[in-house]
Amino acid sequence: MTANALRTRPPARRREPRATRALSVLQSTALVVIALVALVPLVAIFVATFQTGADIMRGGITLAVDPATLGLDNWTMLFTDSGPYFRWFANSLVVTVLQVVGTLLVSSFVAYGFAMYDFRGRTPLFIAVLAIMAVPFEMVMLPLYVQVNEMGLADTYAVIVIPFLAAAVTIFFFRQYFLGVPKEILEAGRVDGVTEFGIFFRLVLPIARPAIAAMAILNGMMCWNNLLWPLLVLRSSEKFTLPIGLNTLITPYANNYGLLIVGSFFSLIPILVLFLAFQRFFVEGMTAGAVKG
Amino acid sequence: MSRIRTTASAATVAAVLAACLGCGGGSPGGGAGTSADADGATPMEMWIFGELHGVLYEQMADRWNELHPDRAIDLRLTVYPYQDMHNKLQLAANSGAGMPDLADIEVTKFANFVRGDDPPLMDLSAAAEPYREDVVEARLDLYSRGDAVYGYPTHVGAFVTFYNTELLEEAGIDYSTIVTWDDFAAAGAEYHAATGRAFGTANTDVFFVEPLVIAQHGGELFAEDGTVQVDSPEVVRSFEMMQDMVETGAIAPIPGSSPDDEEAYGSIARGDFAAIVYPAWYTSRFVDYMPDLAGKVAIAPAPVVAGSDTLTIGGGGTGTAVAAGSPVRDLAAEWLAFAKLSPEANVAVWEVLGFDPVNMAVWEDEEVTRDPDNQFNQYFTTNLFDVLNQVKDGIEHFESFGSPDLPAVNSRFGTVTLTEIYESGVPAREALEQAQRELKNELRQG
Amino acid sequence: MPALARRLLYSQKLAPYLFVLPFVATLALFWIIPVARSIVMSTQEVMYGQTTSVGMDNYARLWNDGVFWTAMSNSARYMVLSLLLLIPIPMLLAAVVNSRIGSPRVKAFFKASMFVPALTSVVVAGLVFRLMFSESESAVMNQVVQVFGIGPVRWLREDLTGLAALLALAVWRWTGVNTMYFIAGMQSIPGEYYEAASLDGANRRQQFLRITVPNLRPTIVYVTTISVYGGLAMFLESFMLYGGNASPNNQGLTVVGYLYRKGVEQNDLGFASAVGIVLLVAVTAINLTQLTLAGTFRKENVR
Repeated sequence: MTANALRTRPPARRREPRATRALSVLQSTALVVIALVALVPLVAIFVATFQTGADIMRGGITLAVDPATLGLDNWTMLFTDSGPYFRWFANSLVVTVLQVVGTLLVSSFVAYGFAMYDFRGRTPLFIAVLAIMAVPFEMVMLPLYVQVNEMGLADTYAVIVIPFLAAAVTIFFFRQYFLGVPKEILEAGRVDGVTEFGIFFRLVLPIARPAIAAMAILNGMMCWNNLLWPLLVLRSSEKFTLPIGLNTLITPYANNYGLLIVGSFFSLIPILVLFLAFQRFFVEGMTAGAVKG
Repeated sequence: MSRIRTTASAATVAAVLAACLGCGGGSPGGGAGTSADADGATPMEMWIFGELHGVLYEQMADRWNELHPDRAIDLRLTVYPYQDMHNKLQLAANSGAGMPDLADIEVTKFANFVRGDDPPLMDLSAAAEPYREDVVEARLDLYSRGDAVYGYPTHVGAFVTFYNTELLEEAGIDYSTIVTWDDFAAAGAEYHAATGRAFGTANTDVFFVEPLVIAQHGGELFAEDGTVQVDSPEVVRSFEMMQDMVETGAIAPIPGSSPDDEEAYGSIARGDFAAIVYPAWYTSRFVDYMPDLAGKVAIAPAPVVAGSDTLTIGGGGTGTAVAAGSPVRDLAAEWLAFAKLSPEANVAVWEVLGFDPVNMAVWEDEEVTRDPDNQFNQYFTTNLFDVLNQVKDGIEHFESFGSPDLPAVNSRFGTVTLTEIYESGVPAREALEQAQRELKNELRQG
Repeated sequence: MPALARRLLYSQKLAPYLFVLPFVATLALFWIIPVARSIVMSTQEVMYGQTTSVGMDNYARLWNDGVFWTAMSNSARYMVLSLLLLIPIPMLLAAVVNSRIGSPRVKAFFKASMFVPALTSVVVAGLVFRLMFSESESAVMNQVVQVFGIGPVRWLREDLTGLAALLALAVWRWTGVNTMYFIAGMQSIPGEYYEAASLDGANRRQQFLRITVPNLRPTIVYVTTISVYGGLAMFLESFMLYGGNASPNNQGLTVVGYLYRKGVEQNDLGFASAVGIVLLVAVTAINLTQLTLAGTFRKENVR
């Protein structure tokens, strides 16, 4: 048992140590088992990257892997002969970075307005935020596509990014977070002659780091994995993002299944890195922005 | 100081937005435009959904440029997955912007592009003229409306049967005695009784084989006036015949729902099925995806309904079209006629893709058809062209394939009706009557 | 700096409007206008950019369309079942993780592993599940059920097993995220509540039911709202699992899938718009009912 755990041990625990320890072991075992089950699909696809793509598509992913069929062919292909794969990868990185940075800035900006000021129309506007959270984007997807096409904006990253800069969920979350920020900070800023926007950018945003981390992960994950809308608006293959690109490999007209499997697995890496890097702040940020009663 | 920081933050926001707007940068205009390349070649944008077709087109573009250096083209191919390409093309056609100069359009989707009086595709009949008499007329009809030809075919897609000779020999069945569907059903039932395995396939997501049977029964999917009619006596009889075969075990649903699927290749290669009735282009799937069966597969004519003059129809297909709004449409049409209808192109269709070419002059050219180095000739125990020449005079055009409502019927059968009949055991008549009601409503014909 | 700009930057009256401006623009451009257009388009037939008014014809066809009702009932049952799975299970897991006993290291590992599936794109997740639920007898799920002497099962060819595969995919991807929401919610419940309860002699189960669950109400409302949305709008999971938008007897077809089939694959934009409007009405009705029952619109909650 770690020193940390000893320190935080509650007093009640000392009274029934044996029962508690048994319970603790039971709990840990259960958690580990559930966690491992959750990882099975990822382990399965990792193992599948060493098998022949066509065999996988024919017989499915299997637990009984014949070691003789394993090989590095798919990985070699990924790094030497994967066609446009890394172009998709780079496109996805660009779009995700733009989207995440833009959404965090714009949405926190808007949320600050909702959290810190009393103004006419705030309640109906905020209800609109809540409403959008509950309306499927798929509903407006087709008319929006027609609109975008008429404006000559189809096939640009702008139409993938801009509609989601002021994202309802992110606004909602940041608002919750800002509600917990003491108003004295604002007053102090005003006394010092800082503009209203300066107060937001210089004084409030920097202390919102946990919220930013949590939202960076959630938005990053949504953007990196975004498929439907980009699939609709992007036409040129040199602009494809990774999910679209991978989707193009699922076709019987060309045997690209090896690349599909290994490319799918490899596509998990950036978002995993982002998650592991920010994970420390994640729960803290989620807690601070959590819906409160 | 504070102002500088604020300005800097605001500038960041502005830069992100600018970058978003800038990084797209593409022009939504139609096709690759008219501006010629530095070497004088005219750029042309082409969308396709089969990678192998691209090989053929590139080969034909190079050949064209050798023959016509003054009218050289610079072909820019984009390969999309089947469904995505048609979706994008439809959205582009429907919104009037973003069509490529040329596109491959699969036959069951073709009707979506030739509705109304002003379809978004160009009439290609003039450019086809030099080749017309050698080309299987039924295949041009497929992509024609009135006198206008809106697409050039890729292959005939005559139905043939691929028999696994090794399995048949073990079961003591001689495939050359199978002529009619009754023969096929009897052989299938016998094979199933002997081996416990399925003989032929019942396909639940591709509506290919049933149109052949319906055509052989003299039926159609639409009435004279063009309204949907999928519960006519001929259609019902055709499906009852197929359903009977499911019951005797002569045919069975195939993993992957149709022979043209990765799971199906695996199961055919393992020997789970002994007889595949499918269009001739399926040769390429054997060669590419089932190398284990090399030397064991014979090609024979598809079964017929006893007494029918219709030996086969074209199954599946890809019509290649030129966008009506393309600024380079005339040159595109001329090149396309060369790339798809000329004898030279049709030799390549056979040699590269293994399809049955639409230019019948090739069928008689023994240097091509008997070429011992050809990978398809090496794979199969019989020669595809022998079979084709055998059915040559019985290749009929199935009118229903030209109906504007074919996509709706195709979608209904490929999702619900075939599954009901082959898997859920719904009596054929009932499933068809249900389909008829639903389609009437869907097509505003109720 | 010009006086006007100065007034703008320092005005506490104007500032809030500038702050919410991006949202107002988004609302107008990307929601209100498209929804309005959708309503208009749902009364039209659209062909190659030309529109003809057809009145309520699209809705009439919709009403008589068996496939639409199949899609509706598929979406509805998926939504209900995913709510039944993805609220109680994550809540329980969160309570376990949030309890005072157990190793922090195991809990950290648990939280990370549970969250990883959510990071997986629907393309990859759908592909992996499709391959795990393949009908071949050597595929993972068939190997598992064969241990119990069942199968091989043709998972994605049968209605209920296909639904099970879809739900398995949903549970796999979203349990971690919802658990995280509940952990966050639980951590904002003041510790004194529990101390008071334990002084009153309440055991763990009683504490969970009497303190944790009632105090989690806002989180439960939030998770329910997004799950209703997610359940009714589900499409890509089924699209990837079935390798396309076509499934046997349309067993995997959802409302959004039908909207996509009609609007994108079959290019009937008018009809697809009608499907979209019906979906909008359904989601709004369910969520409004749910939110009103939970008291979210009471004044203090929107402030």
